[in-house]
Amino acid sequence: MPESKKHQKKDHPHSPYGEESQELIAKTQKRFAVINPSRMCQPLGAVQALLGIRGAMPLIHGSQGCSTYMRFQLCRHYREPINVSSTSMSEATVVYGGEKNLIQALNTITHQYKPELIGVTSSCLTETIGDDMDSIINKFLQNNHNKIDFPIIPISTPSYAGSHIESYDQTLKALVEKITHQNILKQSLKGLKDENKKSSQINLKDKINVITGLLSPMDVEEVKFILKEMNIESIVLTDNSQSLNSPLDGKVDFLPSKGTTIKQIRDTAYSKATIALSNHANSAGVFLEKEFGVKLFNLPTPIGLRATDEFIETLVKLKNNQISKTLKIHRGQLLDAMVDAHAYNYNRKVAIYGEPDMVVGLTRFTSELGMIPAVVCTGTECNKFKQEIELISSQDGHEIQIISGGDQYDLHQKVKEEEIEILMGNSYSARIAKEENIPLIRIGFPVFDRIGAQRIKIVGYRAGLSLLDLITNTIIEKYYDNLKEEHL
Amino acid sequence: MPYDLFEVDKAIPERKKHIYIKKSDDPEAEIPSCNTKTIPGCMTERGCAFAGVKGVITGAVKDAAHVIHSPVGCTAYGYGTKRYPTTSSMPDGSEFPLENFNLKYIMGTDLKESDVVFGGMKKLRQSILEAAKEFPEANAIYAYATCTTGLIGDDMDGVVKELSEELGKDVVAFNAPGFSGPTQSKGHHVGNHTLFQHLVGSKEPPQTTPYDVNLIGEYNIDGDLWILKPYFEEMGINILSTFTGDCCHDEICWMHRAKLSLVRCQRSATYIADLIEKEYGVPYMKVDFFGPRYCAENLRAIGKYFGLEDKAEKVIQDRMAKIKPELEFYKEKLQGKKVWVFSGGPKNWHLPRPLEECLGMEVVAVSTMFEHEDGYEKIKQRAKENTVIVDDPNSLEMEEIIEKYQPDIMLSGVKEKYLAHKLQLPCVLIHSYENGPYIGFEGFINLAKDIYASIYNPVWNLVEFQDEVKEEPLELKELSAEEKSTLSAK
Repeated sequence: MPESKKHQKKDHPHSPYGEESQELIAKTQKRFAVINPSRMCQPLGAVQALLGIRGAMPLIHGSQGCSTYMRFQLCRHYREPINVSSTSMSEATVVYGGEKNLIQALNTITHQYKPELIGVTSSCLTETIGDDMDSIINKFLQNNHNKIDFPIIPISTPSYAGSHIESYDQTLKALVEKITHQNILKQSLKGLKDENKKSSQINLKDKINVITGLLSPMDVEEVKFILKEMNIESIVLTDNSQSLNSPLDGKVDFLPSKGTTIKQIRDTAYSKATIALSNHANSAGVFLEKEFGVKLFNLPTPIGLRATDEFIETLVKLKNNQISKTLKIHRGQLLDAMVDAHAYNYNRKVAIYGEPDMVVGLTRFTSELGMIPAVVCTGTECNKFKQEIELISSQDGHEIQIISGGDQYDLHQKVKEEEIEILMGNSYSARIAKEENIPLIRIGFPVFDRIGAQRIKIVGYRAGLSLLDLITNTIIEKYYDNLKEEHL
Repeated sequence: MPYDLFEVDKAIPERKKHIYIKKSDDPEAEIPSCNTKTIPGCMTERGCAFAGVKGVITGAVKDAAHVIHSPVGCTAYGYGTKRYPTTSSMPDGSEFPLENFNLKYIMGTDLKESDVVFGGMKKLRQSILEAAKEFPEANAIYAYATCTTGLIGDDMDGVVKELSEELGKDVVAFNAPGFSGPTQSKGHHVGNHTLFQHLVGSKEPPQTTPYDVNLIGEYNIDGDLWILKPYFEEMGINILSTFTGDCCHDEICWMHRAKLSLVRCQRSATYIADLIEKEYGVPYMKVDFFGPRYCAENLRAIGKYFGLEDKAEKVIQDRMAKIKPELEFYKEKLQGKKVWVFSGGPKNWHLPRPLEECLGMEVVAVSTMFEHEDGYEKIKQRAKENTVIVDDPNSLEMEEIIEKYQPDIMLSGVKEKYLAHKLQLPCVLIHSYENGPYIGFEGFINLAKDIYASIYNPVWNLVEFQDEVKEEPLELKELSAEEKSTLSAK
């Protein structure tokens, strides 16, 4: 048996507060304060979406700290050079509004970086002072007499509402909405220059749009691999597989040199269908269905066996073809390992923490492995998340403690109460794992205290296999290696 | 002309005055333009004032709970960013019950849209109370303004004053919203003034000695302080207060009782030394402990001040003997290697000379994020002829610096590191360090070792690219690298 994980914070020998203060303290309940937040702010989600678009520059209309903090967070996670521009607002500009700064920033970026797209996100600051980004951008375009040959997309992202999850979704929607819009198409955008004029709409109609949700570059790579195996032409929204896991090849990209192109985003309107591999980032798909009749298939993120099956079955139906031999083998290998590993994983209590899609997927997967996903936690308050988890709970018969919109403090309390044996989450949860003396499988965003965050894989059969190995070996190391030899 | 407009900056000619090339016959006043607003859209590495106060000044205090008055973003990003470890030992010999408390917890008011409309004071008050309840051990609570709360005009000072009285412990508000000032430097400034105004002089130390010093501007990055501390102990000098590495809240309150203040980071913390001198007559001395020579010189100066010259000499001889063989090894290996130093501020004048004198390296470029005039004067003084000195470089300029000046290694922060790596330029982190500490005699060896390891990484022998990236015109191919760099420098 594992050593006791009941580890209570030491009681203070004597209260440091005086009598009156004690009364005040006694009345206080944890209500508002967030202790070690477990969600990021909206502009970050927008930036994450934009980093998968070729030639895109994210511009945060706010003070420098926003873009610098985010670059810091992104650089230490992906270990790649990442450019996020700022309008560098300061006291003086706060008083007069941010028009001058935003126009100047658009100018600077246009001339210095020659982007194929600028995604302008707002910030707490500019939302609070009420800058009208649309009209400022229009003014910039007018000033330049239509010489701007790339789209500039405003995205409203105040940090005092929602989190990076909602803004990731809204950014995809804004991109699709604006770029498929007639007025934009009338402009001769340089992103469309590589358009093959002969490509007829019939070709386009064969394509499938795939919204990946917030996935690591290697996971996006795996989604693309599966699509290729199934002979499916696709448009991936947005494709960070190369921009955030780029090879050392003698040059540095200031803007992603690979990724979803403006033309591809435009073409999403003509595709046969959209598959959203996320229940929290499907708004672009909803828009395409409503506006252009592109059928939307909303699937769970393909994590684990059944969810990956569901993805592949949908592809089979859409293309009326067979599952590829290779994928069949991968599936069989995963099943084989699930059988082999079960003795170690059975009834292990796991807590899962991170972005909603990932948590839901891992809840399903660990449940498939015979583990008990006893605590799940996501930083965003979200009914959809709760429903998804409750569904798994009722299907698999586990009692699952759901924390939606909680912080790491709440997570820590539940991890203690439920005597969790293994934790899955980002680097921030390392503190909890250490204090509770349980192992941590690092997953999600950000992972800055280990190398290879951009290569963490959870999607598809192959990733399921490597994740299963990792989970099981971690359990063996923690709970079996110290037993005496005769027990093995 | 001593100033250079880079190729990549043609669209923003204002950048020219920020890029200065050292010429010794220039008038002293010629330094890069600095501490001014970044041009919007220019890819700066600078941060904000909130980051300056929480991320630099106060985040190192071991026993204070931090409440960020902000929507979730600033609280999330303010968490666990800097490596300044703390011990649990307190000045009275007791133990602080939460190990590395300063690194482990951050709290925030998690403002919502309605708070922006109706004000966030109630939430601030409630959140501070929640902090007080959750962490009764914390000896103080620090609250921080951010862009949002700065704009909606919450009277934080009022709230913390009230709560200080009600709770019977210090609750301090730092009014450095992100948009104030051109860089994080503004936050350092606000942090110094706030701590001085509200704390210094409010408590008395358990005991004093004739050899009490304040070690100001030492944040214990990766254990820097723990290298310096034994030097002082062996000299018989007592560090009464550190500002703020591994310090406790009370240490700041009794800084006025020191006999001398030593200012280590002179960009972020000279303010408080100055204020203490003016108000309490405690003199201060600016010190530099990077590299063996400066470290020795400064220990001698401190020794002289207290009449402890012999003891200082012993510390110096002892450490020099210890590091000499390794120093010689690294000097031989690093001789002639070109280096680009890019730090926040003072390391740009701390490091170049030691790198040159002790390791035989050649500093070809120096750049800072937030240095002011006085710092640039020192940088210029210590730089060799033709060194390029850049204020607040953008990412394109960084590539141009690498192309033009061809450094063999870059010393910088994490945002720049991976850009350098893509251009096959090794990079050692000097904000939070790779395998620090880097200060003092032993620390300098750690730095040398990391530089050596990065330059001699075997991977560089494996990196070979076909010229598919940049097809050079034929006539250029005939030229040597040196000729090319002079060509492009024109």
